[in-house]
This record gives sequence, structure tokens and C-alpha cells, in this order.
Amino acid sequence: MLCLQLAPGLVKASDYAARIDYAELQHTDHGYTVQTHIDYRLSPTAKEALHKGVRLTWEVTIELRQPGVLWDTRIHNRKLTYSLQFHALLNQYVVQTPFDRSEMFLTLSAAMNFMAAVHDSTPIPAELLSADKPYLLAVKTQFNRELLPIPLRPVAYLDNRWFLSSVWYTWPIQK
Amino acid sequence: MAYSKIKLPASATIILLFGFVLLSLQLMSSATQESSELGEMYSWLLVINTLGSVILLGLVAFNAYSLVRELKKKEAGSRLTTRMVSLFVLLALAPAAIVFYFSVQFLHQGIDSWFNVEIDRAMDDALELSQSSLNQRMTWHIKQTKQMADQLRDKSEALIAMEVGSLWADSGALEIAVFSNQGRVLASSSVNPSDILPHLPDEQIWLLLRQNKEYFAFDPGDNDEMLVRIIVAIEADQSRFLQVLFPIPVRVTDLADSIEFAFIRYQEMNFLRDSLKTSFSLILLLVLLLSLLAAIWVAFISIRNIVAPVKELVKGTQAVADGDYQQQLPVMNQDDLGFLVESFNQMTRRIARSRDETRAAGLEVENQRAYLETILANLTAGVISFDAAFYIRTANQAAYRILHIPVSHFVGETLPTLATMHSELADVLNAIQSLLEKADDIWEQRIVFLGPNGRQELLCRGTPLFSQHGARTGAVVVFDDVTDLIQAQKNAAWGEVARRLAHEIKNPLTPIQLSAERLQHKLSKELQDGSAVFLQRGTRTIVQQVEAMKRMVDDFSEYARPSKKQVEKINLVDLIQEVMALYLPSGIIFSTAFASDRVLVEADPVSLRQVLHNLIKNAQEATTVPCRIEIKIAKVSRNNTDYVELGIYDNGNGLNAEQLETIFDPYVTSKAKGTGLGLAIVKKIVEEHGGVIWVDTSYNDGAGFLLQLPVFEFGNFK
Repeated sequence: MLCLQLAPGLVKASDYAARIDYAELQHTDHGYTVQTHIDYRLSPTAKEALHKGVRLTWEVTIELRQPGVLWDTRIHNRKLTYSLQFHALLNQYVVQTPFDRSEMFLTLSAAMNFMAAVHDSTPIPAELLSADKPYLLAVKTQFNRELLPIPLRPVAYLDNRWFLSSVWYTWPIQK
Repeated sequence: MAYSKIKLPASATIILLFGFVLLSLQLMSSATQESSELGEMYSWLLVINTLGSVILLGLVAFNAYSLVRELKKKEAGSRLTTRMVSLFVLLALAPAAIVFYFSVQFLHQGIDSWFNVEIDRAMDDALELSQSSLNQRMTWHIKQTKQMADQLRDKSEALIAMEVGSLWADSGALEIAVFSNQGRVLASSSVNPSDILPHLPDEQIWLLLRQNKEYFAFDPGDNDEMLVRIIVAIEADQSRFLQVLFPIPVRVTDLADSIEFAFIRYQEMNFLRDSLKTSFSLILLLVLLLSLLAAIWVAFISIRNIVAPVKELVKGTQAVADGDYQQQLPVMNQDDLGFLVESFNQMTRRIARSRDETRAAGLEVENQRAYLETILANLTAGVISFDAAFYIRTANQAAYRILHIPVSHFVGETLPTLATMHSELADVLNAIQSLLEKADDIWEQRIVFLGPNGRQELLCRGTPLFSQHGARTGAVVVFDDVTDLIQAQKNAAWGEVARRLAHEIKNPLTPIQLSAERLQHKLSKELQDGSAVFLQRGTRTIVQQVEAMKRMVDDFSEYARPSKKQVEKINLVDLIQEVMALYLPSGIIFSTAFASDRVLVEADPVSLRQVLHNLIKNAQEATTVPCRIEIKIAKVSRNNTDYVELGIYDNGNGLNAEQLETIFDPYVTSKAKGTGLGLAIVKKIVEEHGGVIWVDTSYNDGAGFLLQLPVFEFGNFK
């Protein structure tokens, strides 16, 4: 199993930007799987919108890169879409997972915790990684403003309370 | 500039522009609809329209800046363009702003009208009613489940397995399952026989179950159905749990979903109320901006197109004002402005033609004037023209030759002013001035005056000039020096007199003389001594007087007869010195001032010697004191011909004014024995040699004569 050095790069984020706590590669029989933990932080405005029925959607992007002189070469890319919605009738939070599954939670924190723990069970073929080369594991989560209601979109691009995305976090992969 | 680089016709550009604007706005308007597929493009459309507005704003700003620069440079048409653009902007902006203001007002009021307290309350109540209904069902199912748990309490796993089936059948549940606290399924029964495994709780439910010892919640089931999951502990020690899944009727589920959807939708709209207002206001603002800016830009293009002919006209007019009459402007359109441009072109063509004609006429006039000036300059008669105040306007070269002053240099002066500067001409100039002032018609008069070359006689003819309205505009005086002509006439007359005298008088003299001599010869012997002496004395007197009369008649004949010149080149200096040598014994004191010792003239030496003799004898006879004669030789040029000027000055009594007038006339003498032909013969010989002689009136110490002869060669100056 490859050991991962968890050393996130310096980032600049807004007050409510998500952060990637850690990410790691796990070796399985079919290859490598990625496990990461994301710290979502909802602004009061986002929380209010959620409770008023607005669906919030994030797209978690996981990339495996090979560092280059001028730019890194992307050798693996995976996007996982999570959305969060409040079910007013049942007074529960519904999380739509990227695996076409809905999970209902009685509390917001429970729903956020569920979304935070990302485990991409789709394996990365082991042949993509060479033991004698360095690699970077890059993760970010992007809040999708374009899936907000139309009147809210222009505001979401201008109001930092809607800046809920994270920047790229990278970790070097070492043996 | 940017507008000048547009290749498309203005109308096509305008149509294209407005097409793009309308399409973009329509797309954005459609994108605001929730159901529209363009919703995903909303942000891009917003950015595109904003960019379009910025580009249009830039174009308008650039055009406005260009216009301001043109205004500062005061370029043609800039003021008209500014006025039209300002008017258009004002006319377009005012209604657009009003429409925008009221549209925003109506929009905000319309959005606000969607929401009110009653609807809020109704929506809350509806949701609460739904929740109550579901909760009531939930409560009933919890009670039912607990009763089933009571029935299974303290029973063995085998008994439980046997009773689960009957419980499921009695309860109407979808699924009943009994599992241990370890999650091991002890018994289950389901409506779907294919479900081998029951729907076991997940980690979250286990967590809650361990905390609360029971769990009940609505679960989303398969096929969009809703389930009630109830889990209660069978035993007090929570070693076994009973889970029952109850179905919610489809109708109830649909109604609840509908209420929930409406509630959520309403809540969302309420939450988005301000965003909606902002969003729609933004779209309205974009519509206004795009429309207005596009209209203003198009206005710039259109107005510039309209003003272009006017601009060309202004430039053309300025060019015409600067004297460029070749301006032909392009006729862009066959409208009123095109007609104006065509008229301008016709006008410039006519002006150019008139200018050419005027120029040709002026040239003709100039040629005529030059021709007249040439004629005037070559006239032997002097011509002086005067303006209405008798100031000299023009004078020809002959005037200078006759008056010996450069009259043309005195243009702008009057004759009296000229007279003060040249006192020797005061008489003639004042006389002409007097005649000019008095005469109302053509006048002619001979004016005699004593000029620098002696007595001169001018024949003057004056013509006053009048304008078409009869006002005096000036005068022209034409005068000619007739001194020589008069003198020639006199000489001819005297020659005729001499010839007649010689013929009429000399012929009888010989018989008279012979008769007297015959009387003397015949009678002297017959008469007594006294009478014979008397006769002899009488006949001698007759013979002597006849001889005297013969000599006198011979002199006349000599004067009247054309001379037979033997012309040869002689050195005038040598000739003068020869003649002077003859007179040295007589005591005359000569002084000479010769500019050269070699002055060759083509002349008859005998005649020229007689001239010198006559002049010297004349000076000798006019002098009582020791006679001093000064002889000067100089070179002068007159009418592009070189002359030798010979001056002979004595220290005698000089000549008075009366003598000056007739000094060269025959039979004019102040001496008792003189015939009066000496100076007349001198003048005759000089003129026969192409020269002139006159009394130097500027010499006041005696009499001075100046004669000029054409010189063949004038040696170097000493």
C-alpha cells in the first residue's frame, strides 16, 4: 500500500470556502481508491437559502497528476457531484450522492458529515502509477452556482457569502 | 476614424446591430424562465450582454470624444452633428428613462404582490396539516408496532419466527423484521417474497436507536413511495428489536408531495424576492442600456452620414472663399442635400468661368495698358496725366527728355511742388498748372521758357477728363518741344530771303559799278578839276558801297547755300589747339579742361574750324577787358548715343534775356559792323553735323556756349 504524505499546499480561501482536510490513496485488489474529507462551511445566507428550498450542489474533482517542468500532466480525473436539499415536509435533509442514491438526515450537521466523507470506490488502475515517478493527488470541491435558481446566480458570483468552493489542494504521493 | 472604416451600408449595419441586440435580449429573457433550456446559458448571456453594453459604451464614448475634438478644432459640420446628436440623445433618453423607472416600479410592486401574510400563513398551515396527518399516521403505527413488540416479548426466537408472519398479515405492514442488537436478523416477513433480506437500519439509525431505544421516521421507499420505519426494542435490555415498515397510501403521498412542493416553491420564491427584483431590474437596465447605446451609436453613424454632404459643402464654401473655384463635391444622394450639392457645384463652375473671363479681360486690359504705355513711352511728345486734384499720375519718358527732369519720379506730386524743386522750370510748370485749373475744354498753347538748354518753346495741348457722370476725374497734357522746328522754319525763311537778296540785289550791282566806272572814265577828262575830283569821289564811293553790298550779298549767299562738307575723322582737341594758336598773338588768355586728348569726330574740318573761329571771335569782340576764354571738352550720353560736349566760356558782358531768345537768328548783332550771321552760321554748321548748340544759361560770368557733336571715338580720360 502506498503511504500518503498529507501536506496540503498553502491556499487562500474566503470565509466560507470549503477546505480539503486530507486525501489519501488506498490500495485495493483492483487498484487504488481515493478517500478524502472535506470541511464544508455554509454561510448564513447559504443556510437560509437551503432551508427555503434551494438545492446546493458541489462537484468534487479528484485528479492524479504527474508534475512537469512547466505544467503538470493529468493522468486521472474524476468528478463526484453532491447536492444537498431540505425536505420541509419531513423536516429532513436530503443528500443526493454521485451514485444515484438519496440519503435523508435529521440534522444538517449529519448531512454535511455525510457529504464530507468522500470515498470514491471507483478504482484507479494501478498501471497508471509508476513506482519510480512522483505524483500529485489534487482535490477540490466546486460549488456550482449555475445550478442555483436563476435570479440568485448573478448575486452568487458577486457575493463572497456564496464563495463556497475550495481551491485546489495537492499532496505529493510517496512510497 | 472608426465610423469612416465601416464598409457596410449604414442601414445594413443598423439592422444587423439591432438584430444582435434583440436576439441577445430575447435569449436572456428566455433564459430567465425556469423551464427553459437556456437557463444554463443565463450567466453567459448576462456576460455577453454586459460586454455588448461595454463595447457599445466604448463606441459611443469614442464617437463623443471624436466629436469633442472636432468641435475644438472647429471642423466643418461638427457643431451641426453635436446639435443633432444632443437632440437625439435627449429625445431618446427622456422617454426611455421614464419607461425604465415605471417598469422597475411595476416590476417590484408585481413581485411584492405575489407574497403576503395570508399566503404565508396558508402555506405554513398546509404544511403543518400535512405534517400532522403524517404524524398522526406515524403515532398510530408506533402504537401498533409497540403492541406487536409486546406480543413478541419474552418469547424464544423460534416462537418469534412463527408469529412474525401472522403479525405481518394482521398489521398490513410492508415488512416486519426482528433482529438482535448486533444486527442479526432473527425473523422477517415481507410483502415481497423476493426480498430475502429485510431493509436493515444503517449506521445513523443504529446510532439514534442506541441513544433513544426506538426509532421512527419517514423513509423514501422504492418507486417514489414513502414509508414509515418504526423500530422499537422488544426486550427491556434491548437485546432484540422489532422493525416495521408501513406504507403511506399513494394518494396521501401525492398530496403531501404536492403541498411540500408548493411550500418549498413558495419559500424559495419568497427567499429570492430581492434577487428577483435585482435580476429583473438588471435585465431591464441591460435592455435599456443596449437599446439606448445602440441607438446613440447608430445615431452617430446616421447623423454623420446626413451631415457629410453639409460638411463637404462647408469645406467647399471655405475653399471658394479662399479663392479655389475648382471645388466639385460628390453628389451622394439624390435628395434635398444632393440637390444642394449639385447647385453648389453649378455655382462654383459659374464662378470659375466668370473668374476666368474676368481674368482674361483683366489680362487684355493689362496688355492694352502695357501697349499704351509702350506707345506713350516711345512718343516724342511728353505726356503727363493728372488726377482730379491735379496730382501727377503718370508721365512718359519724353516728358523727361523735354523738361530735363524725371517727371515720372514725381508721381503723386503737383506741378507747383515740382516748380519749387526746379526753379528753372517754374514758368512753364506754373503756366501749365494755371491752364489746367482754368480749362473746361481742350486747350492748346505755346509756352516759351528758358530751360537749362537755352530757350525752349513748347506746344502744349491739354484735355480735361470727365467721368460718365460729368465729374472731373483729371486731365492729360501733351506737349512737344517745337524749338528746333521753329528754328528750322526761321532758318528756311532766312535762307529764302538771302537767296532772293543775292538774286535781286547782286544782279543790278555789277551794272551799277560798271556804270559808275564808265562815268568816271568818260567824264573825268572832260570835267574841270573841281568837278572831276567830285566825280571821282562820287564814283569811288559808289564802287566801294557796291563792293560792300556784294560782300554782304555773298555772305547771305554763303549762309543760304547748303554747305559742301568734306567729312573726315579729325581730332577735335588738335583742331581746337590749332585755332587757339592763331589767337595767342592777339592776347587772348585761354584755359582748357579736356577730358581726353583724343576725341575723334566725323566732320568737315573747314566748317568746324569756322565754328571755332566764329565763337572765339564772338567772345573776343564781346570783351573789352583782357579776354579770357575757357574751353572744356567732356563726354556725354544722350539717347544711347555718345556726344562730345564742347563748352566755350568768356568773361565778357554776357547775354541778356532778350538776346538769348534771338542769339542764333541771322542779322542779330549788338556790334556796329557785324552782319549778325556769325552765330547763325555756327548753329547751321553744328546742326548740319548732327549736333546742337545752346547758351549755357547757368554760367553768369560772361557768355557761355555749349555744343554737342556725335563722337566717333573718345579716348581714355586723363
